Amino acid sequence: MFEMNGEVDVKMKKKKKIKKKDRLEGMKKEMDIVSVIHKTRRRESWREYGLTSSKAAEVLERDGPNELLPPKGTPEYVKFARQLAGGLQCLMWVAAVICFIAFGIEFSRGTLGCFDDLYLAITLITVVVVTGCFGYYQEFKSTNIIASFKNLVPQQALVIRDGQKNQINAMDLVVGDLVEIKGGDRVPADIRIIFAQGCKVDNSSLTGESEPQSKTPECTHENPLETKNIAFFSTTCLEGVATGTVINTGDRTIIGRIASLASGVGNEKTPIAIEIEHFVDIIAGLAIFFGFTFFVVAMFIGYAFLEAMIFFMAIVVAYVPEGLLATVTVCLSLTAKRLARKNCVVKNLEAVETLGSTSVICSDKTGTLTQNRMTVAHLWFDNVIHAADTTEDQSGQSFDQSSETWRSLARVAGLCNRAIFKPNQESLPIPRRIVVGDASETALLKFTELAIGNMMEYRERFKKVVEVPFNSTNKNTLMLSVHELEDPMDLRYLLVMKGAPERILERCSTILIKGQEMPLEEQWREAFQTAYMDLGSLGERVLGFCHIYLNENEFPRGYKFDSDEMNFTTSGLCFAGLISMIDPPRATVPDAVMKCRTAGIRVVMVTGDHPITARAIAANVGIITEGSETVEDIATRKRIPVEQVNRRDARACVISGGQLKDMSSEELDEALRSHPEMVFARTSPQPPSSPPLIIVESCQRLGSIVAVTGDGVNDSPALKKADIGIAMGIAGSDAAKNAADMILLDDNFASIVTGVEQGRLIFDNLKKSIAYTLTKNIPELTPYLIYITVSVPLPLGCITILMIELATDIFPSVSLAYEKAESDIMHLKPRNPRKDRLVNESLAAYSYFQIGAIQSFAGFTDYFTAMAQEGWYPLLCVGLRSHWENVHLQDLQDSYGQEWTYAQRLYQQYTCYTVFFISIEICQIADVLIRKTRRLSIFQQGFFRNKVLVSAIVFQLLLGNLLCYCPGMPNIFNFMPIRGQWWFVPIPYGILIFVYDEIRKLGVRRHPGSWWDQELYY
Amino acid sequence: MSTKEETPVADGDKPQTSSWKDSIYNPRTGEFIGRTAKSWALILLFYLVFYGFLAGMFTLTMWVMLQTLDDNIPTYRDRVASPGLVIRPRSLDIVFNRTDTKQYGQYVQHLENFLQQYNDTVQERNELCMVGEYYEQDDQEEKKVCQFKRSLLRQCSGLSDTTFGYTEGKPCVLVKMNRIIGLKPRGDPYINCTAKRESPLQMQYFPSEGRFDKMYFPYYGKNLHSTYVQPLVAVKLLLTKEDYNNELTVECKIEGSDLRNSDDRDKFLGRVTFRVKVVE
Repeated sequence: MFEMNGEVDVKMKKKKKIKKKDRLEGMKKEMDIVSVIHKTRRRESWREYGLTSSKAAEVLERDGPNELLPPKGTPEYVKFARQLAGGLQCLMWVAAVICFIAFGIEFSRGTLGCFDDLYLAITLITVVVVTGCFGYYQEFKSTNIIASFKNLVPQQALVIRDGQKNQINAMDLVVGDLVEIKGGDRVPADIRIIFAQGCKVDNSSLTGESEPQSKTPECTHENPLETKNIAFFSTTCLEGVATGTVINTGDRTIIGRIASLASGVGNEKTPIAIEIEHFVDIIAGLAIFFGFTFFVVAMFIGYAFLEAMIFFMAIVVAYVPEGLLATVTVCLSLTAKRLARKNCVVKNLEAVETLGSTSVICSDKTGTLTQNRMTVAHLWFDNVIHAADTTEDQSGQSFDQSSETWRSLARVAGLCNRAIFKPNQESLPIPRRIVVGDASETALLKFTELAIGNMMEYRERFKKVVEVPFNSTNKNTLMLSVHELEDPMDLRYLLVMKGAPERILERCSTILIKGQEMPLEEQWREAFQTAYMDLGSLGERVLGFCHIYLNENEFPRGYKFDSDEMNFTTSGLCFAGLISMIDPPRATVPDAVMKCRTAGIRVVMVTGDHPITARAIAANVGIITEGSETVEDIATRKRIPVEQVNRRDARACVISGGQLKDMSSEELDEALRSHPEMVFARTSPQPPSSPPLIIVESCQRLGSIVAVTGDGVNDSPALKKADIGIAMGIAGSDAAKNAADMILLDDNFASIVTGVEQGRLIFDNLKKSIAYTLTKNIPELTPYLIYITVSVPLPLGCITILMIELATDIFPSVSLAYEKAESDIMHLKPRNPRKDRLVNESLAAYSYFQIGAIQSFAGFTDYFTAMAQEGWYPLLCVGLRSHWENVHLQDLQDSYGQEWTYAQRLYQQYTCYTVFFISIEICQIADVLIRKTRRLSIFQQGFFRNKVLVSAIVFQLLLGNLLCYCPGMPNIFNFMPIRGQWWFVPIPYGILIFVYDEIRKLGVRRHPGSWWDQELYY
Repeated sequence: MSTKEETPVADGDKPQTSSWKDSIYNPRTGEFIGRTAKSWALILLFYLVFYGFLAGMFTLTMWVMLQTLDDNIPTYRDRVASPGLVIRPRSLDIVFNRTDTKQYGQYVQHLENFLQQYNDTVQERNELCMVGEYYEQDDQEEKKVCQFKRSLLRQCSGLSDTTFGYTEGKPCVLVKMNRIIGLKPRGDPYINCTAKRESPLQMQYFPSEGRFDKMYFPYYGKNLHSTYVQPLVAVKLLLTKEDYNNELTVECKIEGSDLRNSDDRDKFLGRVTFRVKVVE
């Protein structure tokens, strides 16, 4: 034994050794690459040489190709099969199989009407397959996320191997490869820059930041996303050239990790899906319960096994609302269509309703809450802060432009500016013209264009002699240019400069006040400081402007200005003023945020901006309300340290990305719970734990239904994780759009609020629709129960039931989706997904046991009437079933002594079906009218305001008539042309339904909270 | 009923397993399946009143409807515009061994029972009517019945040959037309039977030519015409030795009148098909 154990041990050790060896070898290989790099670097020729192709092939073998692999998902046929195997679908399959068996047996016996079973089976299967296809299509549409990532990946890469430049397939890149990129290229992998010349990269596909970032070989930050020497797979190089080594390929790159995260994050089930599943399960359970009970009862009474099985099948068919899923889908898509007209494109239909139950909206700032364009907001000159017009359509008030100082300031702002309009845009309004240049210069260009007029021509008049742009020598804080003057007689040069206000002030000795140059005394410096602080506290980006007329003698015409040597005056300038810019909120946003607030929805802002800017915008749009204080505010007001402030006193809270990173999830939950007004600022878009994702998860832990907006690829995991992800149509990346459930075409936050309203409306209307649909299941079911227990001839056939479910009642139930809201739904709190169910107890009880019961009585009244008038008295019918259905009994006597053949009885039975059908139809018309409102009187809501509903009723009647009176119907769908008066028998019951529901609503309105309200309001 | 269920649950009161038991009976709130006793009482009372009202309304409408009905004539007779044909013995597969009394005994017994109401003693109480004319008595209070004596069926009456020809292998089959109130067949309806084979089968009809006499029409319904007997036609299948052991399909049709006998869906409307097999 011991020996054996020993042997095993040895084997185990060997195995471990082997594993260790493998790992060591793996490490060695990595080392190899590093050493290769080092060696080649030592050789100094590495920059030209790159990897050897054999080495590259080896690494490729190890790491696999440089591409984004879709995660192994469930095969498509399994997904499809799953759609066909839901709770109700399984029941329908069972029913269909029973039908086939019954058909087989009856066909072999040659029974009249045996083909009905075959039709029934085929119809059931068709219903299952069609709904299954629909569901599959829906699912298919929302799962092809990875495809959008693939679009981001470049095809070709310029790689240096064996000392030669080669254009190769980007798939073949390996770690350690030396690649070159130039303006216009997509970065083919995650690379570390080792050489760059004016290289600027657009990270917008990855992070959503649209401002290009310059890339240099220096490591400026330990965070790989922040540092300047790493460029990422799939981002675009805008200008310049760069060389770098590949550090990650394929799924190990940042975008690869986002992609796998996005496809890995389970799509949260939408609340409406949960609701529907919840009640479909109940219905399926009840159907099985009823079916099985009556199966047992039937067996007990003494029916044959096959008959009992057919009863089971019939009860399932009667009880299952076959048309319900279609109705829900159509209702949702109608709303989706309505939303699309309001710039919300809904990808996942169920998301329509989710929006209505949303309790937290996590909104991106840039572009969603704001206009996503820097705009001049304030100016400071003549020692006064002037507000500029920041509205999108320039409809606001402008400031007094008569001052001489203003003219100088505008000239500096206009001349010291590299931004230019793209040509051929004269027809467009100025704010919408496309500009080449960075954000603040664009803002200034548009501002001056609006204030002065044609800037391009203006610049022509002041010919530029030399220009020093923002660069590393002036630490990116200053920019200046020298211009000839407009007046050809004046031979002076004008130097204009802009930059960080304090740096500008340093270089000034005078200040322009009302057009007069005044010495820059202490009082002006103080005034400058106050203005600078004031503007800064508004979260605005402030720039200072100054100018000087260069001395004509010192700098005569033709003087050679040198931008590198700066051989000209750059101090003792004249300060002109300050201009501050901000990305202003969209005009509609404050109103929309206010609506959210009244609707009980919390708006959380997430932004990469500085906390002060974030706070200013939040306050501006109403996310932080007036009078709300942050912990820091309280601390400064009370003059106590931040630690001593009771956190619960602060309504508002601004959390920066850094703080967020250090918070545990419990702390974040606590923060979200205690501060109703939250702003997350300076969040870095690091993918695996991108701030929106953390915030969404935290909100969901607190039981909220979360809507998230996003545009960048990095947002896609959060978009998927959220209950409803909303992607931006204009700024959004494909990946974000694919991960989202909804797309805002105008990127406007206000559209979300419209969506919320529609979502709430559809929830209410779906409730009505479902109540309407469920009601008729009782009058469909009771015929069978009576048939089995009392043995009357069958009052309602399966095919007739399917005609009600799938033909006549679909349109009316859909038309309820067009119903207007009963009250101001935007003044209610969002529904509590755990308490306010779509289908609650009182809805089911009211539909089933009250309205459904009335309908059943109507059906039976009409049934017995039709039987009695044809010669079969009600009492004779009881217990008649076995004789009635006896195929060999061709002379069954009715109450008058007449003898009927089997076929004659069968057509009489079809007449009963039709009569029962008509009764249900008449009652359903009353039903659809009462379902228009749940609380208001129908007279308050208006009978004819919902035109679709009116036409649905007309359609229902016409279809009913067609089924009854179209020739051929008796033998196809078992409908008989019935006598006119049988249409009128159920009308008293219809009136009863209507009157009873009016009484119910009256009670509900008059006595809110009473027993009546609790039991009968659904 | 609720108290019965409550006790065992309350006895086994374990706090850790209370979650699902609570949904049946929650001892803290006194809720039984989500409702307190008072709540149950209220809701049951509500439904009692509700269904009571509905049942009342149902009864009322049914009563009103029944008031509109005529006791003697159904409101509509369009579903049975034309009569069906049936045969006696009540079987569409007449298979028997002519030597085995047990096998054909049931048929004979059945025919004998069926013909009791046609016994001459019974029928003699009825009217002797005019041959070939409808016996209309719309204005009479008491509707009389025309006599149809069993003896009219001669060999198939079961009087002379008590086995109705079953022992000799030439079985009798009675063809009966369904009763329909107010039916007055035009023309001269008679029964014609054909065997589905190449050579025609010899048959005898009683009464002669298989006629249904007009005097038996119209029928006035169970109430007014309680002793009414419908006319019969007996068909004696004159099978020969060669026909034994072979299954023979025979179709009888009503002909010579406006009565329908070729409906696609209803195989018994004015016609009847049955199979005969005599084993020796």
